Amino acid sequence: MTDGQQGGIGAGTRAPELAVTGIDPGPVRLGDLTARGCAFLVFVSEECPTSALALRNLGPLCRSWEQAGLTATAVFEDPLEVAIRVARRLGWTGRVVSQAPPYETSRAYGLLSVPTTVLVGQAGILAGTVVGWNQPALVALIGQAGATLGTATLAAPPPAEPRHKPGCSSKAAIDPEIAAAISSQRADDEMEEMFERGWTDGLPVVPPTPERVEAMLGRADGSISLGFVPPSMGEATLERVAACAVLAGCRPAYFPVVVAAARAVLDPAFNLHGQAVTTQPAGQLVVVNGPVRRAIGLNSGMGALGPGFRANLTIGRAVRLLVTLSGGAMPGGLDRATLGHMGKIGCCIAEDEETSPWEPLHVERGFDAGQSVVTVIGSDAPLNISDHRSRTPDDLAYILAWAAATSWSTNWWPLAEPSVFVICPEHAEMFRAAGWSKQRLREYMFEAVHRPAGELRRGETTPFVHAAGPAAEIPKWASPDAIVLLVAGGEAGRYSAVLGPCTGMGSQIVSREVESGWLRTA
Amino acid sequence: MASDSVSQDRVSRDYISPFDERVRAPEPLAPRPAGIAGRTVALLDIRKNRGAEFLDRIESQLTAAGAVTMRRTKEIFSKPAALALVDEIAGRADLVVEALAD
Repeated sequence: MTDGQQGGIGAGTRAPELAVTGIDPGPVRLGDLTARGCAFLVFVSEECPTSALALRNLGPLCRSWEQAGLTATAVFEDPLEVAIRVARRLGWTGRVVSQAPPYETSRAYGLLSVPTTVLVGQAGILAGTVVGWNQPALVALIGQAGATLGTATLAAPPPAEPRHKPGCSSKAAIDPEIAAAISSQRADDEMEEMFERGWTDGLPVVPPTPERVEAMLGRADGSISLGFVPPSMGEATLERVAACAVLAGCRPAYFPVVVAAARAVLDPAFNLHGQAVTTQPAGQLVVVNGPVRRAIGLNSGMGALGPGFRANLTIGRAVRLLVTLSGGAMPGGLDRATLGHMGKIGCCIAEDEETSPWEPLHVERGFDAGQSVVTVIGSDAPLNISDHRSRTPDDLAYILAWAAATSWSTNWWPLAEPSVFVICPEHAEMFRAAGWSKQRLREYMFEAVHRPAGELRRGETTPFVHAAGPAAEIPKWASPDAIVLLVAGGEAGRYSAVLGPCTGMGSQIVSREVESGWLRTA
Repeated sequence: MASDSVSQDRVSRDYISPFDERVRAPEPLAPRPAGIAGRTVALLDIRKNRGAEFLDRIESQLTAAGAVTMRRTKEIFSKPAALALVDEIAGRADLVVEALAD
């Protein structure tokens, strides 16, 4: 059945073993494919219309073949993600495997073109080959498989046009560089291509075309370097930061905030290196203060921690994409987080300075109220704190503070790094009405949470606890300064939140001003 | 670090890549000594919990096997070692053992 004029090894010879990657972990062996009878290997390539024709026409038949003992495997000369996508799109119901350059399996089978359909018998002997789309030859090959299995009723493609169609060159048969160039052109599905390139955090992204990146940059010089992003020390050129902002879904108006956040996380005092590679869940919390919040539509009100607001979600995401893509902190790769957390995809909070009874975070940190400032803090996921019953500021402060008692770990006292409390407006109002300053609340919370060292010695605890006498009172925080207070959230509902720290990294809070020359409205 | 660049990504013509596409040549492994007797072995404590205990045990065995040891400690486990420390170990030691985690 071999169409001998188009290459391929001859019938009756032993079929070469496969050097391919399958969807499931572990090697794909020819013996497994033929274990219940015989196997079709359908060599295909994404770029080849004849391959698509073969996959579309043979695909729906695979399940019935499999039940009769004939496995059908599409052997792609493309990356596995591409193979899976193309197979799904074309209705291929058989197995899918992928070959990487230099396409050893295609070479071993002497392929000159795709599609090429090979029938392998149970003993691993090559029983026949059909090159290109050749409907009568394929019907005969399927009949041959049926005869081998003792089944006369294997489904076959109907004699619809086109009955004959030549294939395309196998990538194994052309210059490797040309093959690679062909493989890169998958513009038919840009969103999928982003996944294939690995330019994602696991969610769909906006493709960073030169036009979009140029719009993001505005008048900024893309060659300016902000430094090197750990852990792989990829260079954070403005162009690359802009590419991350585009991928994240930012509008150009957000870019100055993204740049300020990038400058902040790259400050060595932030220790992004430690945060990027740790087994901790550490994410990079971005807090925005000042006029830029309103100018670009950052939400500090209802649903302030998300979801629902583009500026908040995409600015936080852009910063994390910079770490993941430009910095090389790929989850499961150099990012060794045991669990991670959802906020690590990106977390950007705008403080509700207009509702807050207190000076905002950036003023506490030495900036003028009229400056727009980004502050980054290594942080854990938010924990909700409900309190609808406290009627005194003391009770409320006690409830808020003790909610954080198990932050990091139940008996890990004291915490040196900052815990961030996001105080909702109704809670903030109680403190305002009582005339409590921010510092008074901070000191009250610090004083409220302490336990005897003797009660903190089960399981993981600190050297500080071990060194103390059993009756010594240990505070939850090393000092009141480790308590960061922000105001944000909807006007109704008494729900505040605390974000525990990234611990043991020596990671400091870092603030950077948003460059005013770039202030653009959304 | 731009001078490390030896190639640009072939596919970046269609999009602006978020990756730093420079390809860095792999660092070759240092030659492995045939034995440790008489060699200087640096023992690097990165300040992870109980790393020092691990190095104590390793040090006693290395010393018994005839090695000369030098103990050094990183500033903090979560940051790369200071270049001066790396240079000192590279300049003085034949081998290095790093106690990584608790």
